[in-house]
Amino acid sequence: MQIQIDQIAKEFGAATALLPVSLNVPSGALVALLGPSGSGKTTLLRILGGLEEPTSGRVIFDGTDATGMRVQDRRAGFVFQHYALFRHMTVFENIAYGLRARPRATRPSNAEIGQRVTRLLDLIQLPDIAKRYPSQLSGGQRQRVALARALAIEPRMLLLDEPFGALDAKVRKELRQGLRDIHDATGLTTIFVTHDQEEAMELADLVVVMSMGRIEQVGKPGDIQARPQTDFVRDFIAA
Amino acid sequence: MADMTISPPALSAPVPRPARFTRCTDEPRWLRWTLTILVLAVLAVLVVIPLASVFFEALRDGWALAVESLAEPDAWAAVKLTLIVAAVAVPLNALFGVAAAWALTKFQWRGKAVLLTLIDLPFSVSPVVAGLCIILLFGANSDFGGWLVANGYPIVFAVPGIILATMFITFPFVARELVPLMTEQGKAEEEAALTLGASGWRMFLTVTLPNIKWALLYGVLLCNARAMGEFGAVAVVSGKIRGETATMPIMIEMLYNEYLSVAAFTMAAVLTLLALVTLTLKSLLEWRYADQLAAAGGRH
Amino acid sequence: MSRTGAWSLRAPSPLPGWGLSLGITLTLLSLVVLLPIGALLTRAAGIGPAELWATIGSERVLSALALSFRAALIAALFNLVFGLALAWVLVRYDFPGRKLVDAAVDLPFALPTAVAGIALTALYAPNGILGGPIQDWFGFRVAYTEIGIWIALVFVGLPFVVRTVQPVIAEIEQEVEEASATLGATRLTTWRRVILPMLTPALLTGFALSLARAVGEYGSVIFIAGNLPFKTEIAPLLIVIRLEEFDYNGAVAIALAMLAISFVLLLLINLIQVWSRRHTAGA
Repeated sequence: MQIQIDQIAKEFGAATALLPVSLNVPSGALVALLGPSGSGKTTLLRILGGLEEPTSGRVIFDGTDATGMRVQDRRAGFVFQHYALFRHMTVFENIAYGLRARPRATRPSNAEIGQRVTRLLDLIQLPDIAKRYPSQLSGGQRQRVALARALAIEPRMLLLDEPFGALDAKVRKELRQGLRDIHDATGLTTIFVTHDQEEAMELADLVVVMSMGRIEQVGKPGDIQARPQTDFVRDFIAA
Repeated sequence: MADMTISPPALSAPVPRPARFTRCTDEPRWLRWTLTILVLAVLAVLVVIPLASVFFEALRDGWALAVESLAEPDAWAAVKLTLIVAAVAVPLNALFGVAAAWALTKFQWRGKAVLLTLIDLPFSVSPVVAGLCIILLFGANSDFGGWLVANGYPIVFAVPGIILATMFITFPFVARELVPLMTEQGKAEEEAALTLGASGWRMFLTVTLPNIKWALLYGVLLCNARAMGEFGAVAVVSGKIRGETATMPIMIEMLYNEYLSVAAFTMAAVLTLLALVTLTLKSLLEWRYADQLAAAGGRH
Repeated sequence: MSRTGAWSLRAPSPLPGWGLSLGITLTLLSLVVLLPIGALLTRAAGIGPAELWATIGSERVLSALALSFRAALIAALFNLVFGLALAWVLVRYDFPGRKLVDAAVDLPFALPTAVAGIALTALYAPNGILGGPIQDWFGFRVAYTEIGIWIALVFVGLPFVVRTVQPVIAEIEQEVEEASATLGATRLTTWRRVILPMLTPALLTGFALSLARAVGEYGSVIFIAGNLPFKTEIAPLLIVIRLEEFDYNGAVAIALAMLAISFVLLLLINLIQVWSRRHTAGA
């Protein structure tokens, strides 16, 4: 799905989180929103997911103005920074949650839900953990379950907030490849937020460097590294 | 990759924007308002109006009459007895609370869980049953109680029995506050003090006590409020001898049953003021020293 | 007993004061709580099961026990629902005077039960500020009926559910609710499948605490109840009446039945806590 961000701005009371920013994300791209904390990247992601309302501007999905669309209707597969798994449900129930939450008319049968969850567990290469609770999983496993849960609703896009932020370096590297594989397999337009420039450069097709609520530069990883357009970008990628 | 510029998007029908954005973690506005108003209304009927009515009834016939009723010698005796009972029961329970919390949180030993359960026992025993238990142990027709009475130390229908009954009811209060807090604090600071050469008492006074003082005060405050107001257990063991074994709550009952409404409500107003002071101090402690009070739920 | 052996009573520790603190603890605990309860149990054992059963099984005692339990259950159920609503409003919504309201929730803990008793009675009596209009408009009496008992028990049990649930609500990460919404769940579904299950252990604990307190409550009830045998006579009051008649065996039998109810409730609370710890640790 193509995502267009048209002059989106966000203020929290007196504080400005996003100046009007515009961006065009082509269908099927894997995009990194890169910047230090406070740069507005998470706010932008949450606006796309419908978790925040922009103060002004429009969000356009495949040519349709979706600015006022409810979170529930967006079908944005959102993976939260701390995964936000439901701790009182098994892994199976976590992944099945979005399917069971559908209105009766469109809800798949139990057998169908079972098959889908099994397929997703295979996709994240954790076929044997269906009966476990989130507290019994490692950090990396939780992250992958959160991804599977987001994929279960057949999302139109994937939005990930610091997907690897809470993991140690080794697991982080493995999961990067995992995300790349899943992106390539599903072809979903994927946007992830990160403060780690190595992660952004290695994983994304397209990197959006942000600072203080502004988009500093948009480009392919190689271009940004070779030709930083502002002092900020130069300093940030040198760090 | 594709071009990054925004071509003026050709839009199909836009999704209409709702007049007001409801965050997905909020209930709809109308529900928030309804719920808030409903909850506050019930709280007003159940708590605020009864509170106000105590003062209303006390002052129904003017200040003079109310003050006069308090000046009665029996009323004074009740106030004094209540203070004496609290002055003995509360420090003893504080001592118990600190000792129990120390034994429970600084050492690993068998039987901790049993002790914890036993400490909570008074919470689930009816005050009247507690009073009955004390009568059965110390009353004149038990072996032990009979011996005590024969030697001139009556407990039941006398002040010691009232103190024991009060202690029974308020027994867990201090320990309940301290155990979670001291568990959280661990014992590293105490161990550090010992390695620096402090004696056991010095370590306790200079390290442990400063760390728990606000929680201790909090527990003592709650314990005191309950101790001064205890009715059921005290009613059973006191014998209700006017001027001798009638505490303020007992006096309230006697006055009320004699249709001395103003006198009963005046004494009730005094205890209500005490409750309000307790709540104020408690809230101040919670706002100021939230981090130094145990984060345990279920206050009593 | 060896201090370091595999079967030692406690693990070795450099900290002093174990003996002293445990000594104080056990002495006071025994004197104030354990020996008195022991005296009750000894006395009950002396009476023998036949007479105990006969006393507990008498119609007046049974109806008093049933009333105490029924009214406590009704009050605790009300407090369960109202306590949840109040806790939610206090944590999640902002309105002027919120801190004051929060402090006022503890009033039933701080206010002596006898004071609560006479205040509620004065309000709900047929000539009271609330009792009068209720009788005129709705045609039923509150004071001196079972409804009065319910109100007194709701009052004393009010803070338990609020205070056990409030910290749990405060700890719910908003991310979890957001996750539910992004997966397509309506707010109602999020409540039913995510929020309520997370609050259930705390709700049950608060409910059981409120119930335990209400079953044994005496001071706030006797003024408003009317105390008619078979109708509005609660079990603790019947114990007091038996004592005043010097019928100690009768009092002991009722007390034993009440203790049994309390222990079942205590056991229930502990089971709930064990059960809730099992699946929700960490995560």
